[in-house]
Amino acid sequence: MKAPMPGETTTVDPFATEHRRAGYVPTRNPARWFRDTGWRHVVALTAVAFALFPVIWVLSAAFGTGNLSAQRLIPREITLDNFRTLMTEPGHPPFWRWFANSMIVGVVTAAGTVLLCALSAFAFSRLRFRGRRPGLLALLLVQMFPNLLAITALFLFMTRIKTMFPAIGLGTIWGLIFIYLGGALGVNTWLVKGFFDTIPFSLDESAKIDGASHAQTFFLIILPLARPVLAVIALLSFITSQAEFLLADVIIGANDEQRTLAVGLSRYILAGFDNRWGPFAAGALIAAVPVVLLFLFLQRFIVSGLTSGAVKG
Amino acid sequence: MTGVEPVDEGRGADAPRPSPRPVLGNYGSPLGILVKLVALALLNAIVLWGLTVMADAGEWAFLVFSALALLVIDWVYLSRRRIPGKYLVPGTLFLLVFAVYPVLYTVFISTTNYGTGNNLSQEQAIQQIERQSISATDEATRYSLQILARGNPGGDLAFLLTDPDGERFLGTADELVPLADADVVADGRRETIDGFVPLNAGQAQDRVAEIRSFVVPGPEGEIDNDGFGAAFTKLQRYVYDAATGTMVDTVNDVVLVADGGYFVDDDGRRLLPGWRTNVGLSNYEALLTDPALRGNFIRVFVWTVVFAAASVFFSFSLGLLLALVFNNPTMRGRQLYRSLIIIPYALPSFMTALVWRGMFNQSFGVINRWLDVSLPWLSGQWLPYVSILIVNTWLGYVYMFLVSSGALQSIPDELTEAAKVDGATGPMRFRRITLPLLLVSISPLLIASFAFNFNNFNLIYLLTEGRPSIPGSDAGRTDILITYTYKVAFEQGARADYGFASALAVVIFLIVAAISAVSFRYTKQLEEIR
Repeated sequence: MKAPMPGETTTVDPFATEHRRAGYVPTRNPARWFRDTGWRHVVALTAVAFALFPVIWVLSAAFGTGNLSAQRLIPREITLDNFRTLMTEPGHPPFWRWFANSMIVGVVTAAGTVLLCALSAFAFSRLRFRGRRPGLLALLLVQMFPNLLAITALFLFMTRIKTMFPAIGLGTIWGLIFIYLGGALGVNTWLVKGFFDTIPFSLDESAKIDGASHAQTFFLIILPLARPVLAVIALLSFITSQAEFLLADVIIGANDEQRTLAVGLSRYILAGFDNRWGPFAAGALIAAVPVVLLFLFLQRFIVSGLTSGAVKG
Repeated sequence: MTGVEPVDEGRGADAPRPSPRPVLGNYGSPLGILVKLVALALLNAIVLWGLTVMADAGEWAFLVFSALALLVIDWVYLSRRRIPGKYLVPGTLFLLVFAVYPVLYTVFISTTNYGTGNNLSQEQAIQQIERQSISATDEATRYSLQILARGNPGGDLAFLLTDPDGERFLGTADELVPLADADVVADGRRETIDGFVPLNAGQAQDRVAEIRSFVVPGPEGEIDNDGFGAAFTKLQRYVYDAATGTMVDTVNDVVLVADGGYFVDDDGRRLLPGWRTNVGLSNYEALLTDPALRGNFIRVFVWTVVFAAASVFFSFSLGLLLALVFNNPTMRGRQLYRSLIIIPYALPSFMTALVWRGMFNQSFGVINRWLDVSLPWLSGQWLPYVSILIVNTWLGYVYMFLVSSGALQSIPDELTEAAKVDGATGPMRFRRITLPLLLVSISPLLIASFAFNFNNFNLIYLLTEGRPSIPGSDAGRTDILITYTYKVAFEQGARADYGFASALAVVIFLIVAAISAVSFRYTKQLEEIR
């Protein structure tokens, strides 16, 4: 995922303010109203239906009875059978194990990305050294090659690591986390650097005069001031890691206990679409909860950041 | 949000710069130094242990890199200088190991024949060929066998062997000893020698797994049992001749030479397994010259471009349309509509792709059931393309709606008002003023979206898995380059071809690089480096 560009995260949400035309008076004439704004509601309602139908369909599948072929939009009765099938019945998949794995991968990736990016960005923003400009360019170049393209090499690399260090090699979430961290640094470092640049340099100067070391300046002054951008990066990394399928499938897919929700649930439903439809929908709903909550929390940052260079990943 | 005033780019550039070594004069707190030293000591201990493991595994390149990395870390963090290094080393190491190295390794693998059947080193392949070629041959000596155990029926196994001439031998796991007839004594119906007991059929059956793997080193090769009553010398058919680097077939007296990762005889027959070897550019050559592979590649490539471009086009069109509809201050409830429309954007894409797959299911899916038809949405000849674009438009238009809304609001009203005064009609104003201005700010995003969809593995794989498949081809109708690469590397049944998959990945690298080069011309990132 590309992240918003430097300095733009604080722009005003385009929708936050309702621009009202001066002197606007609501019309009473229905035909004129329809020509003016009414048709817009028709389009909007159609768009809402298009957007929400699959979501409602998952909800009804999760809480309904029947399988794929017998599912109705409004279930005959609301039950938790599908949740039970997924979580407690004999032969159920290790759903909560997957959930825990996803959370570990998401949280560690987010924390690691923030730490590594903030460290590099501090050097690029606050320090002057030989190779600074080439370094920034190199970051952009590396970022041009998403590391999922190197999937074969990563697989073979992780296989070799596994023979030496089974705990972090192929088939473990730790190997996957390292790969995510390696792939996340480029653009995010640029973003954090851009934000650091907006923090007045006089702050570090005065800290230095007061006797702060460079580490104290970084941890006690810069990091707290950069909380907004660090939060955005952490949450975007988390959300990205929850949906990532290819790398996760190749690195941990063979080991059922180590799978993330994305791999676990996908492999679960791909093995039997019709009769696993309900339990899958139940699991997918739970999988979506943390992501949707974060998204709603982050919405205004993301929406404003989007206008300056983000793509959903 | 923050107590810091955002500083615009222009003023930031003029802001006072810190000196090159900003805070060298100050020591950190004692606690900080202690934490640093403990962490460094731990890291050193872990890496040193890791080095011994790498040495045991013979991974010398990894060992040298790790040792150098550790030296650099210690040098940087134990010095009072090297301040930029202290901040750059962690990120740089991760980038080198998990982003740069995989790319270089991909290029390297693309010049090899690495894959199933060729995943061993030559040394390992020779060992395996030699080991697998050990078998009974017609010329081998057959012995009659009595299985013995030292001391009691649970003791170490031994073979009492009688060759066709009546000569007797005692075979243990270590050696084959000739016996005099006098050494052999009768024990009931069976024969044994002093210090050993004969095993009857029941006792032998209890230890059958041990007996099966038990062999005696003989003068011409290993002696193995054939059932409980007979034994024979196993002959090694293939013997490696290190002097000439060839494999000799001792049964047929044929010499096989090493060629392209295999031992090959005069008729071109290959001996399995092969080994990893450098094949130069032949993977790329095959991609360009082999008609079947080239046909696959071109078809997949064309669909990838069409898919990415059409996805961007449709989702942008729909998103822009919605944004235009919503860009009317007199419309009520826009906030609510927007909150509802944005919901699919928040859901993990693996989930939505699979949900659509269920809805498109030919026999059970809701779409066919409600339309009361039986359309092959995901398996027909053309419909899968339509389905994929519908789903990807659904996934992408929210984003386009959001960015277009933002961009529309940034276009000054005066421009359209002026055009209105000059007599321009609504469509004309849109085509001549709104759209060009919109594209200025949005085209980098469209390019980025194109590049993202170019490698949109989740959607294609989870929706169709690249199907429907084409007989005789390893790429399905809806495969894009990244899913094709994945299939070549990981999903071709018994044959995984890492070398060819890597060559494909390198080609995608080049295409993505070209796209990025174009997008760089639109973004001003490069000019902003200060």
